[in-house]
Amino acid sequence: MSAPAIHRSAAGMYRTTDGLGRWPYRGQVAAVGIGHSPTMRRWDGEAQTSIGAWCILAIRKAIADAGVSPAEVDGLVFDPETSTGSYWPADQPVPADFRAAFVPASDPLDGLAQLSPEWLLKNMPELTNVKFVMLASHCMSMAVAATVEAVGRGLTNVCVAVKGWHNFAGRYYQSGPNALPTVSGPGKHTPQSWAGPTCYGTAMQFERYLHKYGGSHDMMAPFVVNSRANGLLFPEGYFAQHRDTPITAEDYLTTRWIAKPANLLDNDMPIHAAAAYVFTTADRARDLKQPPVYVLGHAGGGTVQGDSYGPIPPRSCVETLEEAQANAASTARHVYEAAGVSASDIQFENCYDGFSLFHVFWIEGFGFAGVKEGECLDFFQTDISINGPNPVSPSGGNIGSGRTRFWGWTDTIQQLQGRAGARQLKIDAHCGLVGAFMPIWSNFAVLSKDPG
Amino acid sequence: MILVSLDIDGTLEGGDPPGPIPLEFARRLQALGVVVGSSSDRTLTDQRRFWQAGGVEIDFVVLKHHLPDLPGKFDCGRYLHIGDTNQDVYFARLAGFEFWHVDSLEKPGPGEHPAQAMIDLLLLRLSGDPSVDGQAG
Repeated sequence: MSAPAIHRSAAGMYRTTDGLGRWPYRGQVAAVGIGHSPTMRRWDGEAQTSIGAWCILAIRKAIADAGVSPAEVDGLVFDPETSTGSYWPADQPVPADFRAAFVPASDPLDGLAQLSPEWLLKNMPELTNVKFVMLASHCMSMAVAATVEAVGRGLTNVCVAVKGWHNFAGRYYQSGPNALPTVSGPGKHTPQSWAGPTCYGTAMQFERYLHKYGGSHDMMAPFVVNSRANGLLFPEGYFAQHRDTPITAEDYLTTRWIAKPANLLDNDMPIHAAAAYVFTTADRARDLKQPPVYVLGHAGGGTVQGDSYGPIPPRSCVETLEEAQANAASTARHVYEAAGVSASDIQFENCYDGFSLFHVFWIEGFGFAGVKEGECLDFFQTDISINGPNPVSPSGGNIGSGRTRFWGWTDTIQQLQGRAGARQLKIDAHCGLVGAFMPIWSNFAVLSKDPG
Repeated sequence: MILVSLDIDGTLEGGDPPGPIPLEFARRLQALGVVVGSSSDRTLTDQRRFWQAGGVEIDFVVLKHHLPDLPGKFDCGRYLHIGDTNQDVYFARLAGFEFWHVDSLEKPGPGEHPAQAMIDLLLLRLSGDPSVDGQAG
């Protein structure tokens, strides 16, 4: 095997501005395989449950699910960062059984607390034909956007997008720079050195939302209850596997505030898990094992500068409600333009919910089910379940299945393939919307049963 | 009468992560006339299910930030919360409870039932023996 071309930035793959027109590869790229590792709240210390091992497992499952041969896989896109906010302690040696279980790469933390092309390919000898490797940061949505764009451009024919999240023992975001007595410079505003609860920015936006449009935080209860109910029907998810307990409205309304008006159940729970998807050309997809799910278009919101892809900078330190709404709306505009569809074509949505509260901004920004600015809380009081006419977050999202940002992709593909099991929508869904993460920085796609 | 409130995750054996205290600890404390229950960030539904699954009929389940409500429901001479995080410390102190860190409960000796060993230590400590310290760990 010749060495693959490794692209360390995916910035050139994203569509984040107005006026780009329809995605040139509309309907020419399809999702054909899904693979998941099991889930754990935190890594148990076993080599075969390390995040590297679980990424390998997810990739192998996705390849098998698609029914392609591993030798046919010629592309790999993933996020080298795997932290949920927990870090491998600098003074803690890499466990001997982990070192013994895998072929090492140049960095001993590869496979344990991060990923690298070198480590993955060394430990997946069956991938003999990988020619294209791209690193796409932060979440599965960014990896998928880069993957489908790469397949569309002909850079790869059968490409696997993978995302792993490790979670070690201890508290979330209580190590790394955040554990230092002081952090100077712009770094003090980064996600590694939160100055308060991570949800405070969204909570502030939501407080403003309630002031502007009326309503109350209690009106979020149907969304959170519905999300967990859907999560409990998701066999791949954390709560279905480990804590099979629904959330009741009473549970939601009585749980404690983290940053009012965001409570504990508005926050997603970090877990240890990995997932992978196989994408290929529509031509190749036709005779594979699973029904193809076509990508009509992808786009997002963010700032591309050279090799860097970062968030849309807010005017001040924290994005305001109005900025969040504007960012959600412009992202929706890009996505609909790329996919050549309008809001009325979207039959279900799996927008990100890493804090439940900004799901409101996504639904309104995309105009899902005709919901306009200020109307989402009223919409949540209608039937938003998988049995209703406007299914909201049928995956259950992060709230329903744990913090991964990838449940929506699995669910959307499964719904359109007709293999979502107990979560299968009652409506005959042909077209769904999926993506993550925050209005300030995101990638979404419209997926369809039909190539368009 | 004494009230003992137990955190779940990181404190009780079936927690996530598992803690050192077996559920039998709660059962044996109840048999001694102690009021025992859980105070966790898990939802009330989840806490009830947790105890049901363990086969223990507990005296109360409350959300951790509702610890201050317990004295109004149970008239006891001492109120104690056992947990493993700074949230446990914070809410215990807010409620006027004594806080004991779970790691301060002694590990059992050979042949000793872990629950009984912990209860023996707890009773010794409550008797006012100055040689044992509940804040450690």
